[in-house]
Amino acid sequence: MMGAGLLLTLLLAAPAVGPVRFPDLSGLESAVAAQLGEMQRLLAEQVSASVAAPVKVAGSYGDLGQVYLAYAFNDAAADCFQGASRLDPKDFRWPYLLGAAQQAAGRLDEAVAAFEKALTLSPAPPASGAGNVHLGEIRLLQGRLDDAEAALRKAVAFPPTAAMAHSLLGQVALARRDFHAAAEHLEAALAAVPEASRLHVPLAMAYRGLGDRAKAEEHLAKAGAVGLRAPDPLLDGVASLRVGERVAVMRGRVAAQAGRYRDAAEEFRRALAVRPESVEARVDLGSVLALAGDRSGAMEQLREALRLDPGNVTAHFNLGALLADGGAPEEARAHLEAAVAGRPDDAEARRLLAKVLRDGGQLPAALAQYRRAVELAPGDEAARLGEAETLVRLGRYAEARNRLDEALGLMPGSGLLTHAQARLLAACPERAVRDGERALKLALAVWQAQPSAAHAETVALALAELGRCDEAATWQRTAADRARSESPARLAVLNGALAAYEKGPPCRP
Amino acid sequence: MGVATGDYDNDGWMDLYIANYGSNQLWHNNGDGTFTDVTAVAGADDPRWSAGATFADLDRDGWLDLFVLNYVDSSVQNNVRCYAPSSRRDYCGPQAFQPVPSRLLRNRGNGTFEDVSIKSGIGRKAGPGLGVVADDLDGDGWQDLFVANDGSPSFLWLNQKDFTFKEDGLLAGVAVNAAGKPEAGMGIAVGDCDGDGDDDLFITHLTGETNTLYLNQGGGVFEDATARSGLGAPSLPYTGFGTAWIDFDNDGWLDLAAFNGAVNLNGAQWAKGDLFPYAQPDQLFRNQGGCRFVEVGPEAGAAFRTPRVSRGAAFGDVDNDGDTDIVVVDTDSPVRLLVNETGSRRPWLGLRLVGKPAGAKGERDLLGARVEVLRRAAPPLWRRSATDGSYASASDPRVLVGLGDVPEVTEVRVFWPDGAAESFPPPPLRTYTKLLRGTGKTLPPPGAPK
Repeated sequence: MMGAGLLLTLLLAAPAVGPVRFPDLSGLESAVAAQLGEMQRLLAEQVSASVAAPVKVAGSYGDLGQVYLAYAFNDAAADCFQGASRLDPKDFRWPYLLGAAQQAAGRLDEAVAAFEKALTLSPAPPASGAGNVHLGEIRLLQGRLDDAEAALRKAVAFPPTAAMAHSLLGQVALARRDFHAAAEHLEAALAAVPEASRLHVPLAMAYRGLGDRAKAEEHLAKAGAVGLRAPDPLLDGVASLRVGERVAVMRGRVAAQAGRYRDAAEEFRRALAVRPESVEARVDLGSVLALAGDRSGAMEQLREALRLDPGNVTAHFNLGALLADGGAPEEARAHLEAAVAGRPDDAEARRLLAKVLRDGGQLPAALAQYRRAVELAPGDEAARLGEAETLVRLGRYAEARNRLDEALGLMPGSGLLTHAQARLLAACPERAVRDGERALKLALAVWQAQPSAAHAETVALALAELGRCDEAATWQRTAADRARSESPARLAVLNGALAAYEKGPPCRP
Repeated sequence: MGVATGDYDNDGWMDLYIANYGSNQLWHNNGDGTFTDVTAVAGADDPRWSAGATFADLDRDGWLDLFVLNYVDSSVQNNVRCYAPSSRRDYCGPQAFQPVPSRLLRNRGNGTFEDVSIKSGIGRKAGPGLGVVADDLDGDGWQDLFVANDGSPSFLWLNQKDFTFKEDGLLAGVAVNAAGKPEAGMGIAVGDCDGDGDDDLFITHLTGETNTLYLNQGGGVFEDATARSGLGAPSLPYTGFGTAWIDFDNDGWLDLAAFNGAVNLNGAQWAKGDLFPYAQPDQLFRNQGGCRFVEVGPEAGAAFRTPRVSRGAAFGDVDNDGDTDIVVVDTDSPVRLLVNETGSRRPWLGLRLVGKPAGAKGERDLLGARVEVLRRAAPPLWRRSATDGSYASASDPRVLVGLGDVPEVTEVRVFWPDGAAESFPPPPLRTYTKLLRGTGKTLPPPGAPK
């Protein structure tokens, strides 16, 4: 690898080209440093060989600039594109990429000048489409709304960039408080790219501005994190110049966040190809394989991660969760215990361990874990419910009722907890704990919120506890009716209770 | 990480809450220049990573409640490695960790607090909070809470008047920016920058994002007005922390200060061997009227020209000369005091808004009070008494009102945090005047103080 000092000298020797502010390559991932070092060496060689045509040297500057840009060395990239542009002033790519580097560095006026120059050199699509999107975006940031609109109107005419241009025109309209135009543009953008869930937010703001609150709320409910970007032939290529483990891991995580688990797995595999000992990439690969439904592949990766790093808490947790779900409670327990030991304040890990312990009949140990989970996360509904269910299984009914009351005091709107309390009060084996009136009130509340078979069954239980057997039978029929698609065993249970209710008093469960 | 100030026991002395990585501390002001750590007895601790706090009377009972702002669950045990786009090791962003819910403590009025986090709704939603303010943002006369989350949608907790809160940031238009994108919320400035009688929000963000201005259109409906304000593009290269609306030149319009410093290393500074390569210039913007700004930092003195790694900033009239000075905390360098030599050239009004709530031993600043200064032949000016906002800092609760070229004040109206409103005759100019709740002429209680 050539030293930066020597390279600087060589570059300064190139006529009509300013110096490049080289990034320091120390501390970079070795594959990245090697890539950049090699590119710098090649450029230096070309500059020193005075026979090279300026156009070729420009190409080398441009190539290095693109690699710099890929790693966000924006100043160095800008220097390279300036150099390329001076050596080959007719090639639109260099001012275009210079514009991108300046935009990334936050130098917006310089970015505008560069993009405008590029568009003068190449006024036709596809460069003009993406270039005008950049110009529109920058002008919007600068608050120059008329200029932004003018650029985006050009981009909207080119189909590949139309959706992005519409979304930005929507933002221009929002900035002008022209809610009608904003809604039109944003609807057009969403119609073209329905998965761009982030656009639902500005669209909701447009509808809110138009006074249509219902529509605004409807769009906010659909809002997500998936954004929109226009295809950009030059810059899309730049991203692919990155090498190494890190970039693959980052790409994988972005894909996983967007729910593209296969793409994410592919990126994590790429990372592992560069650095097979990367525990991080392996844990991530295991996680996305699990999310994609490949359980055995996920477990294989997580086991390998633990072989490399036996204390990796995330791997222990994820493997424990998979094993718990996959009918291997003993092995799951060992991993979850390791996760809890590694991260004692992780309420989720404690809750999962508690469930495994409870399902394995180790009720006191399960209760201890649930209690700690509740201490750590008092608003964790599942932990609260698990704690109460464990108390019920231990026969500590009054305590279960009290803990559920405490939880409901904190979370009065919790359907899960309300339902659990309704069932306990309606059908507790310890009759002193029962309270039919309150059970009925709670059961009706959850039924109104969600009219399911289970909730109808609980209303019936509460009515039966009150001795209102005819009404209980009616509700039980509703439950059986709604449970038609459930298992025969479940239907048999429901019908058994129905028969008891139909016999009349006493029909208490 | 951060501090909050407020007289939680109504003894007339401002107490101090310190938000830490680990256990927090409540220091009781003994009134003799000493403080006592009363964290345990008051029940005011939070062992998680807290980034700030605010004292506010959220139930109008005359006692300041305490909101403790929490960040993420990060520890040696769950440490992860993070990298810059260049592949170099770098600080992790909040996405690398689990966010943590904040804590709400209700003042029992006996020197202790009750943890009502879950019951109030606040503790049921986790977010990596870095900035918090208490203010009546929907104009119903009750203090709401706004939390700037780092890289996640911000929260607007609307006070339901029964010590429960409804999170309504998305519909209110303050959770994410105009593009629908969450930003790296850090510092918060609250004030009426367009002079329409309600408080607007300005949030500082990360390099590559703009700082964002949310204009209050009344009733808690906000619009992202960054693009047309002139505040977006100049903030793009910088990571903002401390910030506040201050009328630095006392012309009657709230200007804006933003204190910057990167969190991801600057390659050029690093290559030069800078051991702390995160320096960025601070910024000062002049409000040209109606919330349209122009950057004037470079003309405001060397303090705004020299790049530093700024974080916290507290605002107040340190030398009592009638303009707002600034105390800035930079990393790895001494605290700076920026003395304003400009504002006091114009006429000004200084107010301390105090009261003696039931059971109080002394008068205390009634944080959250809003003041409307009426002038002859000029629009009214709206200001608020607060110590919170900015980033991890506590500011001067006194209200400083620059009068510009229209110094003829006809009336001062105060909208107290307990819902009452009073009118006071014009106080003298160029000095601080104490307005005591209950000594003014009663005004009809406002639904919305507009």
